[in-house]
Amino acid sequence: MCNCDECEQWMQPYMDRVLTDAERAEAETHLDDCAYCRKRYRFEAHLRRFVRQAVLEPMPIELKQKLADLRTPLQ
Amino acid sequence: MSETTREPDARRLATDARDRVRFEEDALALSDQVYRVARHLVGSREEAEDLMQETYARAFRSWRSFTPGTNLRAWLLRILTNLNIDRGRKLQRTPDQQPLEEGDYFLYNRLEETSDGPSDEDRVVQRLSQNDVVTALSEVPHDFRDVVVLVDIGDFTYADAAQILDIPIGTVMSRLHRGRRILKQAMAESAVGSES
Repeated sequence: MCNCDECEQWMQPYMDRVLTDAERAEAETHLDDCAYCRKRYRFEAHLRRFVRQAVLEPMPIELKQKLADLRTPLQ
Repeated sequence: MSETTREPDARRLATDARDRVRFEEDALALSDQVYRVARHLVGSREEAEDLMQETYARAFRSWRSFTPGTNLRAWLLRILTNLNIDRGRKLQRTPDQQPLEEGDYFLYNRLEETSDGPSDEDRVVQRLSQNDVVTALSEVPHDFRDVVVLVDIGDFTYADAAQILDIPIGTVMSRLHRGRRILKQAMAESAVGSES
């Protein structure tokens, strides 16, 4: 078991791929060793995909046409 | 006017028209992706549709100010977020006055502790409905939501989001951090209620 308060700090930056190489390696070593954080990492990754999918609302076709109509008329 | 001056003018006009047509086609090809973000920067579909039309009208008028080779999607969203602010989006409490939110693991812990028996992480996510997410996102205050929507739904980098919103990159990072936590807290409340 780790100091999981600290892991909570790097989890999001780790997922955003903004950690340095050294920090990233440290995070991955930790994830290999800690079932508690590994479980939460999997959840976070799954959650991001789920959120992205859940809020997807296709653009109405009529709007697409209205935008196309805004084009400058050809001479 | 002599033939020698008219001919280059005509050529220039033709090139200009061709560049403009190409710009307009490129911008329209990105409209689905721009809409995906726009839809969640405002409260309703109607508002998103109006904002998209205003954005494209302005983009087509000022196409010359776009630098070819740079990120067109970010350029369009910069126009869109500026217009959104101009439309008199309601002023929010400043971020410092927001209540402190729970930690990053809060949602998982909340869902896990309120489920029956042992559960793996996939099953925990399945306790959230699409509606929980949509409702929760709409409850995140604008300043935080803008950043979460651009980065997590629009796939923009921190640097792009900073440029689009005209805020420092450090502000993007802190708003993203807090915005995600506020979102998770709202999802937890929506899925399992605020009481145990």
